[in-house]
Amino acid sequence: MGMQACNLQNLPENYALRFWLYHLMTWPQISFVAEDAKGQIVGYVLAKIEHPSEDDKEAHVHGHVNSISVLRSYRRLGLANKLMLLAQEAMTSIYHAEYCSLHVRRSNRAAIGLYRDSLGFEVAKVEKGYYGDGEDAFSMRLNLQNKNGFIN
Amino acid sequence: MSRATLAKKNALPLKEAGLFKELLSQYENRLLKKGLKTAEQILKKFPEHGETLCMKGLLLTHMGRREEGIDLVKKGIRFDLTSHICWHVFGLIQKADKNYEEALRSYTQALRFDSENINLLRDSAQLQTQLRLFDNLVETRHHLLRLRPNLRQNWVALAVAYHLNGNLDEAKRVIEQYLYSLKNVPNYDVELSETLLYYVNILEQSGDLSGALSELDTKSKSRAIVDRTAVLTTRARLLTKLASPEAGDSWKALIDHNPDNLESYRGYLADQGVSLDDPTSALEAIPHLKAFAKTYPKASVPVRLQLTILPASDPEFSTLITNYLERALKKGVPSIFADLKALYSDLEKRKIVETIAENIKQQNFAAVEEKPSKVDEQKEPTTYLWTLYFLAQHYSYVPPSTTVVPNHKLALEYVNNALSHTPTLPELYLLKGRILKRGGDFLGAASAMNEARILDGQDRFLNTKAGKYLLRAGMVEEASRLFGMFTKKDAESPGHDLEDMQSLLFLLEEGDAFKRVGKPNLALKRYMAVKKIFDTIEDDQFDFHGYNLRKFTLNVYLTLLTWEDTLRSHPGYVNAAIKASNIFVEVSDDPSIVKALTTTDHLSDAEKKARKKAKKAAVKAQEDKKSTQTSNADKELEAPPPKDDDPEGLKLIASTDGLEQAAKLLQPLTKLAPKNIDVWLAIHDVAIRRKKLLQAVGALHKAASLDAEHPELHIRLVDLKQRGKTFSDLPAPVNSTFTEELEKLIPEAASQSLENYNAQYLQRHSAESRCILAAAKVAKSLSGSVQDVENIVFNVFGPEVSLDIKTALSALSLLVSLSSQRKDEFRAAAQKHFEFSTAFKAPSELEEMHKYVLAESTADGKPASAESTTPEKK
Repeated sequence: MGMQACNLQNLPENYALRFWLYHLMTWPQISFVAEDAKGQIVGYVLAKIEHPSEDDKEAHVHGHVNSISVLRSYRRLGLANKLMLLAQEAMTSIYHAEYCSLHVRRSNRAAIGLYRDSLGFEVAKVEKGYYGDGEDAFSMRLNLQNKNGFIN
Repeated sequence: MSRATLAKKNALPLKEAGLFKELLSQYENRLLKKGLKTAEQILKKFPEHGETLCMKGLLLTHMGRREEGIDLVKKGIRFDLTSHICWHVFGLIQKADKNYEEALRSYTQALRFDSENINLLRDSAQLQTQLRLFDNLVETRHHLLRLRPNLRQNWVALAVAYHLNGNLDEAKRVIEQYLYSLKNVPNYDVELSETLLYYVNILEQSGDLSGALSELDTKSKSRAIVDRTAVLTTRARLLTKLASPEAGDSWKALIDHNPDNLESYRGYLADQGVSLDDPTSALEAIPHLKAFAKTYPKASVPVRLQLTILPASDPEFSTLITNYLERALKKGVPSIFADLKALYSDLEKRKIVETIAENIKQQNFAAVEEKPSKVDEQKEPTTYLWTLYFLAQHYSYVPPSTTVVPNHKLALEYVNNALSHTPTLPELYLLKGRILKRGGDFLGAASAMNEARILDGQDRFLNTKAGKYLLRAGMVEEASRLFGMFTKKDAESPGHDLEDMQSLLFLLEEGDAFKRVGKPNLALKRYMAVKKIFDTIEDDQFDFHGYNLRKFTLNVYLTLLTWEDTLRSHPGYVNAAIKASNIFVEVSDDPSIVKALTTTDHLSDAEKKARKKAKKAAVKAQEDKKSTQTSNADKELEAPPPKDDDPEGLKLIASTDGLEQAAKLLQPLTKLAPKNIDVWLAIHDVAIRRKKLLQAVGALHKAASLDAEHPELHIRLVDLKQRGKTFSDLPAPVNSTFTEELEKLIPEAASQSLENYNAQYLQRHSAESRCILAAAKVAKSLSGSVQDVENIVFNVFGPEVSLDIKTALSALSLLVSLSSQRKDEFRAAAQKHFEFSTAFKAPSELEEMHKYVLAESTADGKPASAESTTPEKK
């Protein structure tokens, strides 16, 4: 519920608790939270795993970040970065995800900066009118296999 | 009717029997309209065929004709009491209604006539889990496993059932048998990994620690368990429990995996025999923490823990905190004060932090005042800014249970100074708003928050804050307009969307705001909406009783069940339950409140118009919804949500069973929030009015054990003593127990003169404003003399009394309720006491001031200045 409250306060895209539970019950290992000293949740990453459908030979198992957010008052601590790395690590080690994907508002320069410059994501494609208000989304991807296999 | 005729009616001829089969499959495939036609076709010839009647009823409930449908189902059952289909249908409807107990009863009936029906058994198991009937659950799961031993999930389902029923040995046996039978599992199988982790968990819980450890080690080495975090955590926990010499290294491995997890450090230190909760023992942690700080220079936990542990007198503390604070201020970390304020319970540490921060401010002052060329490279104007921001928070904050006097004036000076340098940083306005709020200027606070919001219209955090502060200032409609910038545009209203999205923050704040502006009906409506959210969340677990077993995510499933069992200890629920119950109590004491609300005479024309408009909008939204819903009715089994026929909460507040509703709200809290004195006070208030004397006095005993001198308890003790005199018609044993128990709380001798008792209480707590107010309220109920009350109330302005805004406001409303002549005198004195406050202004003055809160905005709540600041959310 802390994740949900944090999301409601911060982001325009919200979900009923059932949705949060569904993710945690299906992929309990790949979502993470950041807490303050009192145990209040001040940031979270909610993620899922996509398995390719039977008839799609090209597709790979991959992780997808549904929602990531840190309260404005807890920025500049590198929390989003850490949360994302934890999720990516779990996606690779447990599910052998080939890559991690996410959607971001085209106008959200701060977030795009984090994903691209700090975390190494690349824009895979633009999805027109993805958001409820008609704004485009960048679909971004980070190759997880490469990252762990060659660079490190 | 004889049995023979019944049987005849039940059996359909070949053609109709075929149709009935078709009907069943049409229902399965959600072909509601077609199904209805088929049913009617059968019923034309056999109007008394029970199973068909039930199926038709079921279809109707999914097509928005609920009542009619349920009637048909009941009729159908009467025609065919021994049909499993009839009872199954009835159970389905009850289940959809969240009436789990009744549903289970119907399923049990159905199973009597078809004991091997898998669907019935599976649904029953889910119902039994929801109702926590674990004995029966074990039986059902057993049955399912016997019928379908090839289905893997049936094995783990039985193990989990045993586990829930407290039979770990059987749970273990079943899981072992299951694991043994597994063949050809692919590598890296997450399901197997989760099952094995569950097995380890069972071993651990049943006390077989070394068994658990060796299973964990072998299976993680062979890569059968793939969740590394879980392996590391479980391993460290097991080794510690086993007091193994390897435990320390296992915690280190966990810290290495994630150096930002406080719990890992706690675990490591505990294994080293260091307890962080004991100050002397904690000192021994320092060398360990220093080493960690060196290994993980980026992690804040090792340093931050040292700051808590080291005594203020230790020079090391000053060195560490200087670096810690300086680094954060240079970086511009907004949360640094929120982080450090926990140290302030030690006032010496507070002083040290203050000195250091003031120093940093001095050092960086030059950076802002002098020309960039001359400035020392080390000094940054932004550092100066964040230091001002930090110090402003510092001066206006009162650490809990200390006597620090906040200096809001100085704090405001710092913030304004910072704003004059950088007027574009929203954080500064947020802080200004918070300081003004603490000083009692709720309107100025809302205005500052709104300025922050305008600086970044795309940021929902700022929007939420501004809306919340508007609610605090009693400006409900303005708040709703702001919230509307981020809620779905097709929702009936911003509030409806926030309610759908289960925003407790919104519902509680708006409820409080409605309460303050004299609309207890709407306040109650919001608090009950919070309750409904918790009902929903409790229902949400239902599907997971089947789902998690299919996914083999068993450990997290057990966590879910425990979490659901303690769900209502959530502060949001506790808060809403107490506040709703208070309103029910108020209304029960003074039914004229409801009367005043339901007569529309007092409404201004504008309000009447607004009400009409709202009604129209609600009807329209409902129709819109309907039109979209009917179009996909054939695919979805979800019936449209029933229309809210009480949007104003007027029926709710007029409920004749208000006190019973209140008692139900509070009931779970006796176990889930027993340390909360307000819970017990509320339970008493409800119980005494329901004439449950022993429960009432029992609740006060619980309250007294938490805080015997609590002002609200004082009020109730005197009240109960007075009420006690009027309970003459009680059965003798109840009466004597009640008197005895009450005597323990307030001795007979004292109650000879309750006036004296009250005077003594006042004397004991002459410097505590909340106690003074309580004594005044008691005086009101004892003598009713306005003068007595006034004399006591004005004590709150005594020089040694610590007075807060909330208490001062309650005191004022006490005077107003007595039509005291001195209320304006009180307003003036309070105004003098709380310099910035706008809370004590006369209502007419306040109304005038409301206009200026959103002065920067145009009437429709959108910023007038720039297009770009308006978020384009839909």
